[in-house]
Amino acid sequence: MKMEVHATPEEVMRAVEALREFGRVKQLPDNVVFGLALALEECGCNIVQHALGRDARRKFQVAVECRSAQILIELRDAGPEFDVTGFTKPRAPAHEDEAIGGWGIPIVRRYTDAIQYRREGNENVLLLIKHIDEPSAGRFKA
Amino acid sequence: MPLVIQTETGSNALAAQTATLRLSGSLDTATAPELEAQLVTLLAGPIKELVFDLAGLSFISSAGLRVIAQARKQLRERGGLASESRFSKT
Repeated sequence: MKMEVHATPEEVMRAVEALREFGRVKQLPDNVVFGLALALEECGCNIVQHALGRDARRKFQVAVECRSAQILIELRDAGPEFDVTGFTKPRAPAHEDEAIGGWGIPIVRRYTDAIQYRREGNENVLLLIKHIDEPSAGRFKA
Repeated sequence: MPLVIQTETGSNALAAQTATLRLSGSLDTATAPELEAQLVTLLAGPIKELVFDLAGLSFISSAGLRVIAQARKQLRERGGLASESRFSKT
Protein backbone atom coordinates (compact mmCIF):
# COMPACT_ATOMS: atom_id res chain seq x y z
CA MET A 1 0.00 0.00 0.00
CA LYS A 2 1.44 3.38 -1.01
CA MET A 3 -0.17 6.77 -0.73
CA GLU A 4 0.53 10.48 -0.83
CA VAL A 5 -0.70 12.43 2.16
CA HIS A 6 -1.26 16.17 2.45
CA ALA A 7 0.19 17.83 5.55
CA THR A 8 -3.02 18.00 7.59
CA PRO A 9 -4.29 16.03 10.62
CA GLU A 10 -7.24 14.75 8.56
CA GLU A 11 -4.90 13.36 5.95
CA VAL A 12 -2.78 11.68 8.62
CA MET A 13 -5.92 9.89 9.79
CA ARG A 14 -6.71 8.92 6.20
CA ALA A 15 -3.33 7.17 6.15
CA VAL A 16 -4.14 5.52 9.50
CA GLU A 17 -7.45 4.27 8.09
CA ALA A 18 -5.63 2.90 5.03
CA LEU A 19 -3.28 1.05 7.39
CA ARG A 20 -6.29 -0.43 9.21
CA GLU A 21 -7.76 -1.57 5.91
CA PHE A 22 -4.40 -3.06 4.96
CA GLY A 23 -4.43 -4.94 8.27
CA ARG A 24 -7.93 -6.26 7.61
CA VAL A 25 -7.05 -7.46 4.12
CA LYS A 26 -3.84 -9.09 5.30
CA GLN A 27 -5.58 -10.52 8.38
CA LEU A 28 -3.00 -9.01 10.71
CA PRO A 29 -3.58 -9.29 14.48
CA ASP A 30 -5.85 -6.50 15.79
CA ASN A 31 -3.49 -5.55 18.62
CA VAL A 32 -0.58 -5.17 16.19
CA VAL A 33 -2.60 -2.98 13.83
CA PHE A 34 -3.85 -0.90 16.77
CA GLY A 35 -0.29 -0.22 17.94
CA LEU A 36 0.95 0.54 14.46
CA ALA A 37 -1.98 2.90 13.91
CA LEU A 38 -0.86 4.84 16.99
CA ALA A 39 2.76 4.84 15.79
CA LEU A 40 1.80 5.98 12.28
CA GLU A 41 -0.37 8.77 13.65
CA GLU A 42 2.45 10.02 15.86
CA CYS A 43 5.02 9.95 13.06
CA GLY A 44 2.59 11.51 10.60
CA CYS A 45 1.79 14.31 13.05
CA ASN A 46 5.49 15.00 13.54
CA ILE A 47 5.93 15.35 9.79
CA VAL A 48 2.86 17.58 9.43
CA GLN A 49 3.84 19.88 12.29
CA HIS A 50 7.61 19.94 12.23
CA ALA A 51 8.81 18.89 8.79
CA LEU A 52 6.10 20.44 6.61
CA GLY A 53 4.90 23.24 8.88
CA ARG A 54 1.20 22.31 8.57
CA ASP A 55 1.26 23.53 4.99
CA ALA A 56 -1.66 21.61 3.46
CA ARG A 57 -0.26 22.08 -0.04
CA ARG A 58 2.77 19.96 0.83
CA LYS A 59 2.68 16.18 0.80
CA PHE A 60 4.53 13.21 2.22
CA GLN A 61 4.47 9.54 1.33
CA VAL A 62 3.39 6.53 3.35
CA ALA A 63 4.09 2.96 2.27
CA VAL A 64 3.08 -0.19 4.14
CA GLU A 65 4.08 -3.72 3.28
CA CYS A 66 4.34 -7.19 4.76
CA ARG A 67 7.64 -8.91 4.18
CA SER A 68 8.19 -12.41 5.64
CA ALA A 69 7.24 -12.03 9.30
CA GLN A 70 7.49 -8.24 9.41
CA ILE A 71 5.27 -5.27 8.79
CA LEU A 72 7.17 -2.30 7.39
CA ILE A 73 5.87 1.27 7.37
CA GLU A 74 7.91 3.83 5.48
CA LEU A 75 7.30 7.56 5.80
CA ARG A 76 9.08 9.89 3.39
CA ASP A 77 9.06 13.69 3.58
CA ALA A 78 11.01 16.55 2.08
CA GLY A 79 11.32 18.54 5.29
CA PRO A 80 14.50 19.63 7.05
CA GLU A 81 16.75 16.80 8.18
CA PHE A 82 15.51 15.31 11.43
CA ASP A 83 16.57 11.97 12.84
CA VAL A 84 13.79 10.94 15.17
CA THR A 85 15.80 7.91 16.30
CA GLY A 86 18.19 10.31 18.01
CA PHE A 87 15.43 11.69 20.19
CA THR A 88 16.18 10.98 23.82
CA LYS A 89 13.48 10.48 26.39
CA PRO A 90 13.00 13.59 28.52
CA ARG A 91 13.59 13.34 32.23
CA ALA A 92 10.74 12.03 34.33
CA PRO A 93 8.40 14.91 35.18
CA ALA A 94 8.52 16.15 38.74
CA HIS A 95 4.77 16.75 38.64
CA GLU A 96 1.94 15.21 36.62
CA ASP A 97 1.18 18.57 35.01
CA GLU A 98 4.61 18.61 33.41
CA ALA A 99 3.81 15.38 31.60
CA ILE A 100 1.47 16.93 29.01
CA GLY A 101 3.15 16.35 25.66
CA GLY A 102 6.33 14.58 24.62
CA TRP A 103 4.55 11.25 24.35
CA GLY A 104 4.87 10.73 20.60
CA ILE A 105 8.26 9.09 20.23
CA PRO A 106 7.87 6.87 23.33
CA ILE A 107 4.57 5.61 21.86
CA VAL A 108 6.25 4.83 18.55
CA ARG A 109 8.99 2.92 20.37
CA ARG A 110 6.44 1.09 22.48
CA TYR A 111 4.51 -0.29 19.51
CA THR A 112 7.32 -1.06 17.07
CA ASP A 113 10.34 -3.37 17.24
CA ALA A 114 12.74 -1.13 15.36
CA ILE A 115 12.90 2.39 13.95
CA GLN A 116 15.37 3.23 11.23
CA TYR A 117 16.15 6.67 9.80
CA ARG A 118 18.11 7.73 6.77
CA ARG A 119 18.48 10.91 4.76
CA GLU A 120 18.04 10.27 1.03
CA GLY A 121 18.73 13.31 -1.13
CA ASN A 122 16.51 16.00 0.33
CA GLU A 123 14.17 13.52 2.03
CA ASN A 124 13.77 12.11 5.51
CA VAL A 125 13.02 8.40 5.29
CA LEU A 126 11.67 6.79 8.43
CA LEU A 127 11.10 3.05 8.58
CA LEU A 128 8.99 1.46 11.32
CA ILE A 129 9.40 -2.29 11.70
CA LYS A 130 7.09 -4.63 13.56
CA HIS A 131 7.78 -8.33 13.86
CA ILE A 132 4.85 -10.71 13.82
CA ASP A 133 4.98 -13.75 16.06
CA GLU A 134 5.41 -16.96 14.11
CA PRO A 135 1.93 -18.35 14.88
CA SER A 136 0.38 -15.17 13.52
CA ALA A 137 2.89 -14.88 10.72
CA GLY A 138 1.56 -18.07 9.23
CA ARG A 139 -1.91 -16.53 9.10
CA PHE A 140 -1.46 -13.28 7.30
CA LYS A 141 -1.66 -13.00 3.55
CA ALA A 142 1.62 -12.05 1.88
CA MET B 1 -13.93 8.04 11.84
CA PRO B 2 -15.77 10.95 13.49
CA LEU B 3 -15.86 11.80 17.18
CA VAL B 4 -19.24 12.11 18.89
CA ILE B 5 -19.38 14.07 22.14
CA GLN B 6 -22.40 13.98 24.44
CA THR B 7 -22.34 16.31 27.40
CA GLU B 8 -24.43 15.83 30.53
CA THR B 9 -24.55 18.49 33.19
CA GLY B 10 -26.77 18.89 36.22
CA SER B 11 -29.72 21.29 36.24
CA ASN B 12 -29.39 22.90 39.67
CA ALA B 13 -26.51 25.09 40.84
CA LEU B 14 -24.70 22.35 42.74
CA ALA B 15 -25.14 19.71 40.08
CA ALA B 16 -23.99 22.19 37.45
CA GLN B 17 -20.53 21.85 38.94
CA THR B 18 -20.29 18.32 37.56
CA ALA B 19 -20.36 17.10 33.99
CA THR B 20 -19.94 13.86 32.10
CA LEU B 21 -18.58 13.79 28.58
CA ARG B 22 -19.50 10.59 26.73
CA LEU B 23 -17.12 10.13 23.83
CA SER B 24 -17.56 7.73 20.96
CA GLY B 25 -15.72 7.13 17.71
CA SER B 26 -12.10 8.15 17.34
CA LEU B 27 -10.26 10.68 19.50
CA ASP B 28 -7.21 11.42 17.40
CA THR B 29 -5.17 14.21 15.87
CA ALA B 30 -8.01 15.17 13.52
CA THR B 31 -10.83 15.11 16.09
CA ALA B 32 -9.07 16.21 19.31
CA PRO B 33 -9.61 19.92 18.44
CA GLU B 34 -13.40 19.29 18.56
CA LEU B 35 -13.11 18.05 22.14
CA GLU B 36 -10.77 20.89 23.00
CA ALA B 37 -13.30 23.44 21.71
CA GLN B 38 -16.12 21.82 23.68
CA LEU B 39 -14.00 21.86 26.83
CA VAL B 40 -13.23 25.56 26.43
CA THR B 41 -16.97 26.26 26.52
CA LEU B 42 -17.62 23.83 29.35
CA LEU B 43 -14.76 24.98 31.55
CA ALA B 44 -15.81 28.60 31.13
CA GLY B 45 -18.67 27.67 33.46
CA PRO B 46 -18.64 26.61 37.12
CA ILE B 47 -17.57 23.00 36.45
CA LYS B 48 -15.48 21.49 39.24
CA GLU B 49 -15.78 17.78 38.42
CA LEU B 50 -15.55 16.25 35.00
CA VAL B 51 -15.88 12.60 33.97
CA PHE B 52 -14.72 11.42 30.57
CA ASP B 53 -16.67 8.29 29.68
CA LEU B 54 -14.52 6.59 27.07
CA ALA B 55 -16.57 3.42 26.61
CA GLY B 56 -17.65 4.35 23.09
CA LEU B 57 -14.17 5.12 21.80
CA SER B 58 -12.66 2.74 19.28
CA PHE B 59 -9.37 4.65 19.16
CA ILE B 60 -7.54 7.22 21.25
CA SER B 61 -4.09 8.60 20.56
CA SER B 62 -1.75 10.95 22.37
CA ALA B 63 -3.49 13.93 20.75
CA GLY B 64 -6.66 12.97 22.62
CA LEU B 65 -4.88 12.14 25.86
CA ARG B 66 -3.20 15.53 25.73
CA VAL B 67 -6.57 17.33 25.63
CA ILE B 68 -7.86 15.29 28.57
CA ALA B 69 -4.67 15.97 30.52
CA GLN B 70 -5.00 19.70 29.84
CA ALA B 71 -8.55 19.67 31.18
CA ARG B 72 -7.41 17.80 34.28
CA LYS B 73 -4.69 20.39 34.86
CA GLN B 74 -7.13 23.26 34.43
CA LEU B 75 -9.60 21.71 36.86
CA ARG B 76 -6.92 21.00 39.43
CA GLU B 77 -5.89 24.64 39.31
CA ARG B 78 -9.42 25.61 40.35
CA GLY B 79 -9.65 22.92 43.01
CA GLY B 80 -11.59 20.46 40.89
CA LEU B 81 -10.84 17.11 39.34
CA ALA B 82 -11.26 15.11 36.15
CA SER B 83 -11.42 11.37 35.75
CA GLU B 84 -11.66 8.87 32.93
CA SER B 85 -13.70 5.71 32.82
CA ARG B 86 -14.31 2.65 30.73
CA PHE B 87 -11.75 2.61 27.93
CA SER B 88 -11.12 -1.02 27.16
CA LYS B 89 -9.13 -1.17 23.92
CA THR B 90 -5.57 -2.48 24.42
